[in-house]
Amino acid sequence: MAWKALVVAEQENGTVRDATWELIGLAHRLAGEAGGGAAGVKALVIGHGIDAAAAEIAGRGAAEVIQADGEALAQYTCDGYDRAIEAVAQAEAPDLLLFGHTPNGWDVAPLVAAGLGVPLATECSAVAYEGGRPLFTRKAFNGKFVQVVDMGGARPAVATMQRGAAAAFAGTTAGAVRRIDPRVATLELKSRFITIRKGEAGGVDLSQAPVIVSGGRGLGSAEKFSVVRDLAEALGGQVGASRPVTDAGWLPHQHQIGSSGVTVSPKLYIAAGISGAIQHIVGMRGSGFIVAINKDGDAPIFGVADVGVVGDLFEILPALTRAVREARG
Amino acid sequence: MKIVVLIKQVPNTDSPFRVNGAGTWVDESNLTFGLNDYDRYALEEALRLKDAGRATEVVALSVGPERAATALRTALATGADRAIHVRDDALTGADPLGIARAIAAAIKDEGFGLILAGLQADDDNYTQTPGLVARLLGRPCATAVLKIEPGDGVVRVERELENQRVQVVEMTLPAVVAVQTGLNEPRYASLKGIMAAKKKEIRTVGLAALGLDAAAAGGAGARMKTVRLSPPPKGKGAEILSGPAADVARELVRRIREKTGVI
Repeated sequence: MAWKALVVAEQENGTVRDATWELIGLAHRLAGEAGGGAAGVKALVIGHGIDAAAAEIAGRGAAEVIQADGEALAQYTCDGYDRAIEAVAQAEAPDLLLFGHTPNGWDVAPLVAAGLGVPLATECSAVAYEGGRPLFTRKAFNGKFVQVVDMGGARPAVATMQRGAAAAFAGTTAGAVRRIDPRVATLELKSRFITIRKGEAGGVDLSQAPVIVSGGRGLGSAEKFSVVRDLAEALGGQVGASRPVTDAGWLPHQHQIGSSGVTVSPKLYIAAGISGAIQHIVGMRGSGFIVAINKDGDAPIFGVADVGVVGDLFEILPALTRAVREARG
Repeated sequence: MKIVVLIKQVPNTDSPFRVNGAGTWVDESNLTFGLNDYDRYALEEALRLKDAGRATEVVALSVGPERAATALRTALATGADRAIHVRDDALTGADPLGIARAIAAAIKDEGFGLILAGLQADDDNYTQTPGLVARLLGRPCATAVLKIEPGDGVVRVERELENQRVQVVEMTLPAVVAVQTGLNEPRYASLKGIMAAKKKEIRTVGLAALGLDAAAAGGAGARMKTVRLSPPPKGKGAEILSGPAADVARELVRRIREKTGVI
C-alpha cells in the first residue's frame, strides 16, 4: 500500500492557521524519506462553510483535502472533532496522523489515539524514518532531556508537532477537495461550545517590545523582582516572566512569555533565573540576541542563548544595570 | 458528586538527573520524588468544590510503583478522603495508553462525576493521559482549564487558548478536566491533616483485579517505547562568560551594543 500521511489542518473562522503549513511541509519531507510520494500527502479540515480554506490547502501542498463540513462542527468541540477525525482516519488508514501541538491539537489528539487504539507522541520537534519506521523526537523533563520514541509499528503513528518543527510547504499544488458529511449531530455531543473571549486585558504589550528582561523561578519572590525591573528600566525595555512567576502571582499573567503566554521576538532578550522549559523557549527563541543568566550551568536556556553567565543573578543583574547606566552616560 | 483526582509521583525538578545505563530513561536511584506540580492544582480544585458543598467525596488515584503511595499519602494529608493505588510489577514499561487503560478500569464503576487531572506530568511531559482516559470511558474532556463551574448534570469550564484567549465549554457529566497551573493557590498539608491521613484508606489494586493483564495495560503490551534519552544537543549553545561580576557586566554591555545597538 502506498505511503500516506494525514495532516489535521486547523482553521478558525475560515483562516488556516500557520501550524498547518508546517505540518504539510513535514509530510512532504517524510514522503521522500518513507519512499512515498507527494500524492500521499493528505489533509483533513474540519468546520462549517469552509470551502475557501479547503481550496487554499489544496493549493498549498495537499494532494487531497478532505473537508469534513457540518453544522455541528462549526466550532471546535472535543468529541465532535474526535468523531470526525477518527472516522476519516479509519477510512484513509494513513501511516502518519499529524496534529499541531496547539490548544485544540493537544486537546483532541489523545481522544483520537485512544479511539484508534494506537500510541501518541506529543509535542514533537522532529520525525525521521530509521529502518523503515518513523521515530519521533521530543523533550522530556521540561527540556532537560531529548527523548526519541518508536511507536511499535502502529498504524497510524499519531503525533502532535511543536511549532517550528518543520519549514512550511512553500510550493503550490493542484490538489483535489473531497467534501464529506461526517454525520456528527450536535444533539449527540457531550461537549458544547459556548464562546471564545479575551482573558483579562493587560496594560503591557510585550509582543512589540524591542528589549525584554525576563525573570523566572530563580528570583525567589515578588520583592526580589526589583533587580529585573531595574535592568529593564536602564535598558528602556519591558519586564517579562516565565510561567511559574505569573502562577505564583509575582507578576500579572500579561507578562508571561511562552506557549501559553505571549510569543516575543525582541532585538535583545535577557533571561534571568529561567531554566528554559520548552514552553518558555518556544515563546522567545525568535529573539535577535539572547543573554541567559542562571546558577545551573546545565539549564536548557543556555542551549538557545547567544551569551550566558553561570552565576548568582543577584550579583550579575545589579552589576549589569550599573554598567548599562555607565555606558549610556 | 464524587470527584477523583488523578495524581502522579514525579522526580523533584532539582533532583540530580542522569541517564540510565541503557540510555532509555533517567537513573532513578539518586532522585527524590514528590507530587506532580500540575496535580496539586487539580487536587486543590477538588477540595475547594468539596469545601463549597458541591462535592461529597474526593478520591486520589495514582498508577505507580510502591513509592507512589507517598504521593497518595500527601494527597490524603492535604484533604483527599481516600486513595486508590494501582500497582503491579507488570506495569513497568507501560506506555501512556496502557496506563490510561488501568486508570479507566479502576474508576469506571465508582460513579465519579468529575475526573480531575493536571495538564501534564513534569517527568515525561506527555500531556495525554486525561484525554486517553476520557475516550476509553466515552466521556468528554477539556484541557488547560483555568476555571471550573459545576452545574446541574454539567460542568462549565474555561480552556486556555493562545494569546490570552479562553474558550468556554459546557460538558455533560461525568467529564474529564485537565487543569492548567495557576487556576488556584494549592494548599499544603497541615499537621492535623498529616495525622488524619494515617487513618485514611489507600486501596491497592493490581491489573488482574481490574480485569486487565500485562498485554492490555502493562509493559509487555506497550507499543510506544523510548529508543534513547540524551541531554539536549549543545547546538550553537551559549558562549559562557566568566569572571568577577563587574567585568562580566562590562563585557555583556559591549556585546549587546555590538549585536543589537540598543545601548
